[in-house]
Amino acid sequence: MNYFFDKRYKTPQWLQEKSWYKNNKSRRAFLKSAAGVIAITSTTTSLPSSAVALSKTSIKNNQWRITPLWKTLNAVLDHLLPKSSTGPSAQDIHALQYLHNVVTLQPTSEAEITFIKKGVGWLNGYSQSQLNKLFIDLNTVQKETILRGISKSQAGENWISTLLSYIFEAMLTPEIYGGNPEHIGEKWLNHQAGFPLPKAGTRYYELPGAYRISEKITPQKIKRNSKA
Amino acid sequence: MNYDICIIGSGAGASPVAYTLANAGAKVLVLEKGPWLTEKEFYKDELAISLRDAYNPNLNDEQHVIEDQYENDNGDLFWQGEATSESGSTFWNGTVVGGSSNFMSGYFHRLKPFDFRLKSEFGAIDGANVVDWPISYNDLEPFYAMVDKHVGVSGKHVDHPFAEPHSTDFDYPPLAEHPVAVWIDKTAEKLGVHSIPIPRAVLSQPAMGRRSCEYSGYCSNYGCSSGAKGSGRAALLNNAVAGGNCTIKPESKVYKIDTDNDGQISGVLFYDRQNRKHKVTAKYYVVACQAIETSRLLLASKGNKFPKGLANNNEQVGKNLLFSAGGTGQGDFIFENMSKQQVNELTRVGPFLNRSLQDWYQINDKTFSHDTKNSMTKNIRAKGGTLDFLFYQNPVSRAFGSQRDSDGGLVWGEQLKLNLKKEFTTYKTLRFEVFNDWLPTDDCFVTLDNKVTDKWGDPVAKVRVGFHPHDLKVGEYIAAKGEEFLIAMGATNVSSGVSGSPPPNLQAGGCRFGNDPKTSVLNKYCQAHEVDNLFVTDGSFMPTGGSVPYTYTIYANAFRVAEHIKQRWQASI
Repeated sequence: MNYFFDKRYKTPQWLQEKSWYKNNKSRRAFLKSAAGVIAITSTTTSLPSSAVALSKTSIKNNQWRITPLWKTLNAVLDHLLPKSSTGPSAQDIHALQYLHNVVTLQPTSEAEITFIKKGVGWLNGYSQSQLNKLFIDLNTVQKETILRGISKSQAGENWISTLLSYIFEAMLTPEIYGGNPEHIGEKWLNHQAGFPLPKAGTRYYELPGAYRISEKITPQKIKRNSKA
Repeated sequence: MNYDICIIGSGAGASPVAYTLANAGAKVLVLEKGPWLTEKEFYKDELAISLRDAYNPNLNDEQHVIEDQYENDNGDLFWQGEATSESGSTFWNGTVVGGSSNFMSGYFHRLKPFDFRLKSEFGAIDGANVVDWPISYNDLEPFYAMVDKHVGVSGKHVDHPFAEPHSTDFDYPPLAEHPVAVWIDKTAEKLGVHSIPIPRAVLSQPAMGRRSCEYSGYCSNYGCSSGAKGSGRAALLNNAVAGGNCTIKPESKVYKIDTDNDGQISGVLFYDRQNRKHKVTAKYYVVACQAIETSRLLLASKGNKFPKGLANNNEQVGKNLLFSAGGTGQGDFIFENMSKQQVNELTRVGPFLNRSLQDWYQINDKTFSHDTKNSMTKNIRAKGGTLDFLFYQNPVSRAFGSQRDSDGGLVWGEQLKLNLKKEFTTYKTLRFEVFNDWLPTDDCFVTLDNKVTDKWGDPVAKVRVGFHPHDLKVGEYIAAKGEEFLIAMGATNVSSGVSGSPPPNLQAGGCRFGNDPKTSVLNKYCQAHEVDNLFVTDGSFMPTGGSVPYTYTIYANAFRVAEHIKQRWQASI
């Protein structure tokens, strides 16, 4: 069963609220389209996962990297931003570490974490149905075929888009959040970061009052007079 | 403890009152819902500022209901509310000590003298509740000068057709300017318009115990780590607290203002961080929670004398809410069409662009000849607005879009790298923002929602956000001028967009001041007509907003009202 292609899937509210998702959509159009949306959790809670363990377990140090879940995510990130001479790769920007921090340290909604994790199961389910292999066991051409395949579904496109958005964050946000070592992404794109940058103990979710921080990703506000 | 002054809120409307009264010897209490952050806790943190909402409440805990207008299949218009916890469109703008002033750009344009008499100058507009202010520019001017001095405004005067009179020079010289400012100056000269250096509430020199700007290139939206930005916290509250007469209670959420049988305020009720209830008393009470929340608090504060909410027996509280009308525009400068020096100038990061145009602050154009009731008199003058230039930084937002091809399909791998490289290294976008009056109407107001409550169980504000079509007409007129200007500068891909969507960070009105209690909440001293010991000092007092960002005027008016409260307090002791 290929769950990315489940016809009951509707893009959930938390994802519609992301600025990259809302891009090119007017606020009014967004409000209208929001009507009748079904939360992903209500459509997927009974769906089985395949090759990955979804339960939140405490994995010390870097042992999490060798779990099926994170090995698969690593393979996907590597494919989305591969090693080449044209620019830094997912490995170079520490995309996996960043994504792990998004899931375990940042105040990310449980619905989104569930979506990221279940997507791995759906990916492997699709990969096995098409090529009888888990995603990590595929060669580059096969990986491309599988990712192109799932991107034809709304859920699959949303899942890949979510990972791409975190690749951008890993590339261009302060190093203390886990990505962008020594400004590698910013240097590549000739972008100059501001200063001072946050350090351990002053990440946004560690500041006084941070207990209130919304799990939501703030949408692009209709603000003006708002940039330097 | 019984205080002389209890202030609810701590931003631009609150801090001048705390500063003035505490320095005069009054015992001042400031109740702020958010935490107390300092320079040590503000960073140029892309995640905190641009991608997460790190300085505001969780929308599941505290939110608004926004009523927008829709059209059904039959073409009928109707209003429908949506909770911001559902839409994600937050209307919070900085819930910390100092409020949204911590995150402002500090574009400090003054109102013009005719902004104070909009109806007299430009006439009535059908469907708009335009009125004159009960005070003049001359009444407020000394307090603008006070802001220049105590908050710290850096700038220089230049003459232009709509320059307002200043009694003093700026206390601080202009900030270092971006090379593109000169490009704008030259284009303005060529087109016969006037390029104006924008006064900024950012110190260009160390002063008053604060460091000067360190030119990180990330100012607006970001909290200031040097103290140069003139937030209410850095510029005024720190000073007030240091003097020993001002107490700030952060994480104190006021939920009701109590009144006695005489209709006077008898105390303020608030929750602390542990949700324990407290009550404090004072001689005078000042509400400055930003426009929407100020109206909400008054509406929620019912009493025997005020069954419809505090100071609301004439049902004016929450009415005539204002945002700022206008829009944005942009044009690209393509590196391959430019010299190396031009590219170097364009891509500099750090100094401020600081340029605006106000040649269309008043419009003389037949486009507007039918908008006034006096159209038969061939009155073609219309109120216009301001056009400010700016660059965006925000790299992650810029990256978004690179994952799509021209048909909207997802790309990754080498194509994604090519797209990113092209996006970041082949051009730079110069933007402008248009500010024009958001006309007060019967379709823009605050009430209490009867279903949605905050985490304490109190009704949240329901905000109807209707706009007047005239706002779009003016905005589009000025945006077209902005597009012409960018084209004259040599920009390509020039475009603009004007909409009636309210910018949540530019709020005013809801408790307009005036001389008639039947049509206003406050008198000219921003004291409630109906409550002798209540003052409102945020942007709520504004019956019309002018065509500039509000913070400068809110500061100036709060200093003006503070002087009045000081005199009353001193006479009472």
